[in-house]
Amino acid sequence: MMKADPALPWLRGPVVPMLPAALFYGLFFALPMLALFVLSFWTVSGFTLVPGFSLENYEKIFTSRLHRIVMERTITVATITAMVIVPLAFALAYAMRFVLERRGALILQIVLLSLFSGYLVRIYAWRTILGRQGLLNTALQWAGLIDEPLEFLIYSNFAVIITLSGLLLPLAVLPIYSAMLNISKDYLEAAHDLGASRFFVLRTILIPMSMAGLRTAFAFAFLLAAGDFVTPQLVGGSQSLLIGNVVADQFRGIGSNWPLGAAMSFVIVAVMLTLYLAVMRILKWVAR
Amino acid sequence: MGGPMSSRVWAIGFVALALIWLYVPILVIVLFSFTTSPRLSLPIEGVTLEWYGKALSDPLMTTALANSLTLAAVTATVAGLLGAAFAFGLVALKRQRLRTGLLAASVLPAIVPLLVIGIALAVFFRGLGMPQGMFNAAMGHILVCMPFVILTMNARLETFDFSVLDAARDLGASPYQAFRDITFPLIRPSVLGSALLAAALSLDEFVVTWFNIGNRLTVPVLVWGWMRRGVDPSINAIATLLLSLLIALVLTAGLLTQKKKP
Repeated sequence: MMKADPALPWLRGPVVPMLPAALFYGLFFALPMLALFVLSFWTVSGFTLVPGFSLENYEKIFTSRLHRIVMERTITVATITAMVIVPLAFALAYAMRFVLERRGALILQIVLLSLFSGYLVRIYAWRTILGRQGLLNTALQWAGLIDEPLEFLIYSNFAVIITLSGLLLPLAVLPIYSAMLNISKDYLEAAHDLGASRFFVLRTILIPMSMAGLRTAFAFAFLLAAGDFVTPQLVGGSQSLLIGNVVADQFRGIGSNWPLGAAMSFVIVAVMLTLYLAVMRILKWVAR
Repeated sequence: MGGPMSSRVWAIGFVALALIWLYVPILVIVLFSFTTSPRLSLPIEGVTLEWYGKALSDPLMTTALANSLTLAAVTATVAGLLGAAFAFGLVALKRQRLRTGLLAASVLPAIVPLLVIGIALAVFFRGLGMPQGMFNAAMGHILVCMPFVILTMNARLETFDFSVLDAARDLGASPYQAFRDITFPLIRPSVLGSALLAAALSLDEFVVTWFNIGNRLTVPVLVWGWMRRGVDPSINAIATLLLSLLIALVLTAGLLTQKKKP
């Protein structure tokens, strides 16, 4: 029998069960992030790391033309992806929550299940659809709608955005749907009965009351799109590589430079946070 | 603007389109894993299991599969136990703000881009002088799977009736006995379910693995190599097997963690 020692009352509380996971997070999450941050101020000489405190890497990122182009492209692609996904996810969540109601909950499960069809597989699948000799081009040619394969479908920013949108849509639906669970259908009906237009209901009830969900959805879509390097590699061309590819190359490519890659990853996170805050201000202003 | 009937039609149509967008790519992969033509195009010429045989007889696939299953088992066990225990402590916390704060902190590894987590771990292990390999990958898997275990367990435990424990204690059970005989049997399906979810996430994990496993293979790492080389129907076969396994694991997990109707 294990009677807790009355001298150690905390042993019986929530601390003990939480301790192993907390230690794991400290060791394999907090420390590595700190290590990455410290490394971003180091430099590389030949093949060896030089410890120190240098802003060289950050300077390189902001002055190099290539890095600027890739960074701008990443922000553009991630913003467009988020702008495509969030309204779609909003409409989808609305249809599931307020129109299909109980069946909507089941459909949400089906939407989320698609996340478990394999991360690489879902990206690869889009390549087989959008490819030069892929399904879409073959079907369009067979139907006589086009003579030559459409080139922009694959190895382009278009392909990256389409693929990322399909990949991330379920993750954007979940927070918006959860937020809408707190909106009673009575509010919408009351507003409607009082003669409010659909747009008015959207602007004064639906958007403000699901704001927390919209915010999370936007953050998910933007963050995950901006950090993905597999999608650009598989469906994007050399003109649509994103910052994730450049970072990944610093770690696994030829001529790798770990400190530079570390600095880049912090720049992405900082840029993403800034942009996120800016978009939130705009959304708040719209739903004033 | 139509009445309620037409908005229903619109909603169904829209939801159907979204589901097509999400599922057609997967169906394409499954379909073309069974067709004879090595090129992905229509019309379909014939049906074959050749690609399955080809993919599974690759000796590298045997190694990759063994590694993937090992990682999934380790991840399910460790993330399942640590995550469930953490969630258990979390619901016992009295201060609401501390609880939400800790819950938010514990899901951070699911929000930080996997690329950043992957390279951070690589830097950390290199700093410790540990060569890349299975252990490093396993720690990465546990880290990125734990938030999902904690979220699942937390949702389930929030509706857990703690008064049965008080009753057991009043009748003279020690805290250990109460846990062993009452709490654990009640939450066991949820723990098992969230462990299965962790196994599914681990089997599918690519990014963190890629930066930490060195020259060892898992199924996604091997398939990534094939994908970069070009279009190969073996990819469709392996993808179909992987997604069947993932969906089976997740559906079982869903059944186990489902909240009982009161």
